[in-house]
Amino acid sequence: MPPEVRRAFLMLAGIVAVAMVVWAARFQPLPPADFTFQNGTDPKTLDPHRATGQPESRIIFNVFAGLLQALPDGPPDAETGVQPMSAQPSIAKSFTVSEDGKTYTFDLRDDAVWSDGVPITSEDFRWSWTRMLHPETLCQYSFQLYQLPHAEAYNTGVVKVGDRVEAELWDRPDDVPGGDSSTQNFPRGTIRYGTLVEIRKPDEPTYPDTMSNDAREKAEAAWKEDWVYVIDVCDVAEDGSVDWDDVSGQETFCINAATSPVADEETQATHGVLVAFDKLEAIETPDPQTLIVRLKTPVPYFPDLLAYYPTFLVPKHCIEEFGAPLWTKDDQIVCNGPYKIEKRLLRDRIRLRKNEKYFDADQVSIETIDAISTESGNTALNMYETGQLEWVYDPPSLLLDELRTRDDFHPAPMLSVYFYRINVKRPPMDDVRVRRAVAMAIDRDQVVNQITKAGQIPAYRLVPPGMAGYQSPEGFKPDIEEARRLLAEAGYPGGRGFPKLTLLYNTQQMHRAIAEVLQQQLLNSLNIKIELQNMEWGSYLDKVDQINYDIARAGWIADFADPTTFLDLWVTDGAQNSTGWSNKRFDELLQEAAVAGDQPEKRMQLLAEAEQIWIDEMPVIPMYFYVSKNLIKSNVEGFFPTPQDRHPLHLLRLKEDKE
Amino acid sequence: MSDVLSFIGKRLLWMVATLWLVYTISFVLMRLAPGGPFSSERKVPPAIERQMEARYNLDGSYVEQYFDYLGGIVTRGDLGWSLRLEDYSVNEVIAQGLPVSASLAVFALIFAIVLGVTAGVISAVYRGTIADTSMMIAAVVGIAVPNFVLASVAILLFVFGLNIFPAAGWGTLKQVLLPAICLGAPVAAYIARLARTGMLESLSREHVRTAIAKGLPKSAVIFKHVLPGAMLPVVSYLGPATARVLTGSLVLEQIFALPGIGSHFINAALQRDYTLAMGMVLTYTVILFVMNSIVDLSYAIIDPRVKLQ
Repeated sequence: MPPEVRRAFLMLAGIVAVAMVVWAARFQPLPPADFTFQNGTDPKTLDPHRATGQPESRIIFNVFAGLLQALPDGPPDAETGVQPMSAQPSIAKSFTVSEDGKTYTFDLRDDAVWSDGVPITSEDFRWSWTRMLHPETLCQYSFQLYQLPHAEAYNTGVVKVGDRVEAELWDRPDDVPGGDSSTQNFPRGTIRYGTLVEIRKPDEPTYPDTMSNDAREKAEAAWKEDWVYVIDVCDVAEDGSVDWDDVSGQETFCINAATSPVADEETQATHGVLVAFDKLEAIETPDPQTLIVRLKTPVPYFPDLLAYYPTFLVPKHCIEEFGAPLWTKDDQIVCNGPYKIEKRLLRDRIRLRKNEKYFDADQVSIETIDAISTESGNTALNMYETGQLEWVYDPPSLLLDELRTRDDFHPAPMLSVYFYRINVKRPPMDDVRVRRAVAMAIDRDQVVNQITKAGQIPAYRLVPPGMAGYQSPEGFKPDIEEARRLLAEAGYPGGRGFPKLTLLYNTQQMHRAIAEVLQQQLLNSLNIKIELQNMEWGSYLDKVDQINYDIARAGWIADFADPTTFLDLWVTDGAQNSTGWSNKRFDELLQEAAVAGDQPEKRMQLLAEAEQIWIDEMPVIPMYFYVSKNLIKSNVEGFFPTPQDRHPLHLLRLKEDKE
Repeated sequence: MSDVLSFIGKRLLWMVATLWLVYTISFVLMRLAPGGPFSSERKVPPAIERQMEARYNLDGSYVEQYFDYLGGIVTRGDLGWSLRLEDYSVNEVIAQGLPVSASLAVFALIFAIVLGVTAGVISAVYRGTIADTSMMIAAVVGIAVPNFVLASVAILLFVFGLNIFPAAGWGTLKQVLLPAICLGAPVAAYIARLARTGMLESLSREHVRTAIAKGLPKSAVIFKHVLPGAMLPVVSYLGPATARVLTGSLVLEQIFALPGIGSHFINAALQRDYTLAMGMVLTYTVILFVMNSIVDLSYAIIDPRVKLQ
């Protein structure tokens, strides 16, 4: 290289370096928020129909509103300080329930509007809930509306001959070859309504015996896409209602209209044929301020479900304009809760600003709130101590001993349980005596006092304390003598001949520490050897899902304040069962309870009876009930521990600093 | 000049080949890992899982998926929607996170170069003195101590002790300095050692001895005759150093709550977010490849003895 090139290059390098520093030093900081809190990992989505986790719910509860909302009700528990919550009016200013408990009539406020000023009407609920239940929305909480007639069939895509159905034509805005219609499922294409008169099916392919269940399910689903649906189509009136008897002609529809062997030229391509949920009897909207909801059976906790975010309203006009998930961008999203989204910075923060159009805006005190995305408890505590955060929900466990002595630390029991699943199909744990022996030999006090340290409550049953109206059975007692006796009875006196078991847990410091204590305790008390196996989340879930483990740790947080949220997990072949456990009587009791919604006391008794069976059979070893571990600055008022660790931000008030 | 252009052209071709290879290996590894992007504690019915797979184009055979996704990347530069951060496309995730990581890396590198070269030059010039020994001990410690330990000590000292930096977060110049220092410190230590070695070698060269014998002032000798030669090993280390400040930020991003792309890398892999993980791997590949090529190129320009091939 000639020297002048070299010199020019050095100059250039210098200029580039300076330019880079200038670029890197340019910041446009947001003005600080009035209130800032730790929100854990970054919310995956702000779509109430798609969200599942705690970080998502902390935002969604405050930017969207539904018919009802969970608010403090009554005095706090004298012993624990937990403030009971109940479902109270939100967009519905009042509601009445029919005598049989199956029909709810909601009277909506007439001053409720979206943050862009569009009024909220009862039709919005019909649309929101239909979207929530639509199979392509993939809402994981859709089961919460399964008590509405046809909701389950609509959600799972089951249709029978004779059903009143809808067929969505293949004409969505993005329905072009190679288009992105799969990510933009709403707005929907043209919908035709009618009565299903026949399903023409091509011959079902034969599946080899060696095929795995998953592969078979896939192949079956592919076959079903060739089905041709023959429908007596009827017209839709101006007001959206359908006269099912006024048939205008017979038409055929098929998902694979072009390739199906049983389709003909007349067959129209469709996205799917579903029960016409929103045109049937589940939801009725006689006028914009009245919403009538019908249930198949009385559900005593239905108001609680309506105060839970999946049933909240989503903005039809916004979603139809931008499509999902683009409508959740901070410059496009429209809210109806006490706050609206002002800024959304991935892995950094979500800036909330008071929604002036909220019907109760007068009661909202704090103007701007930042939800900081930080998972690390240490980092959050550092930020809290230096005044960057006002609320931390997850301080590091190692420091809990010290934090417990402080006034700004508020531990309180929560409706959630830490437990170990047992594979009841695998010896020796297929013997109930062995399961009970193991459960009884564990010293949970040591675990909660020495490891978790935040005042967790040792669990000897399934349902956490604090469920209104529910009295759990006594539970078992820790008793090493009895445990030894049971183990001997099962054929392993003094632990002799007991095979080595493996305890599976997902990678986390705390889970390992607890498992190690357990390992030591079982060795000392029963002479049982346990091997620990640590897996990262994805592999761990896979193993549990396939019931390919001996013992596996898990936890469960209540979706709503009713014992069924815990008991339903263990029904035979339930999606969350994953233990292989099955008990006919248990299933029956839960079914009886499900239809006994109009007799709350009897229902609770049935549930308690079911829990007793669970305790006797012990398909799962309960360890402890969680506590919430909130650290909150003393100048924040209106913050109190609640059973599900939910904290409505619009109830918070900041005290002026007197200094 | 033509040799430079042909060098760049050849490198570009190599980069395409490397990217393709990285894409293929990552694709296979991700599909081999147990669990899928939709596994969660709350299980979904098969019909719904099928819909989810269709939405993200995961319903075809592996071969179809391989070519579909590759086609999207090549023709539209579209890395797809993130499977877990579902409000975002992978391109958006990178667009939001990369500037943060880059900004952090720039500060860390500048800090490392300035501190490292200064320390290296001083200890070479004052070889054998206490200053030399203590700086080299500091450098060894700096290389050996992992940056999360360094970060914890730095937080204790600068945040809680001296109260001059905020504890964590992103958005102001003050917030970037402490993590940048922690990130750059081990690199600075390494550069100091390289600079010192290079200086000592240059100092013993004959043209340097001639310059000193001519009676030139010491500073002129060092800056004009010693430093350019001594910097060559430092320049060649800048490629790996960039890699280090970019990948080494994973832990620091957690500790200092920084919204860079480092933590996405880990989370995407752990949560089987196929598209995001692929986007991260490819982004890092491009960055590292480009940085190394720039270093090779500059090396040839600075050092007359090196020829581009």
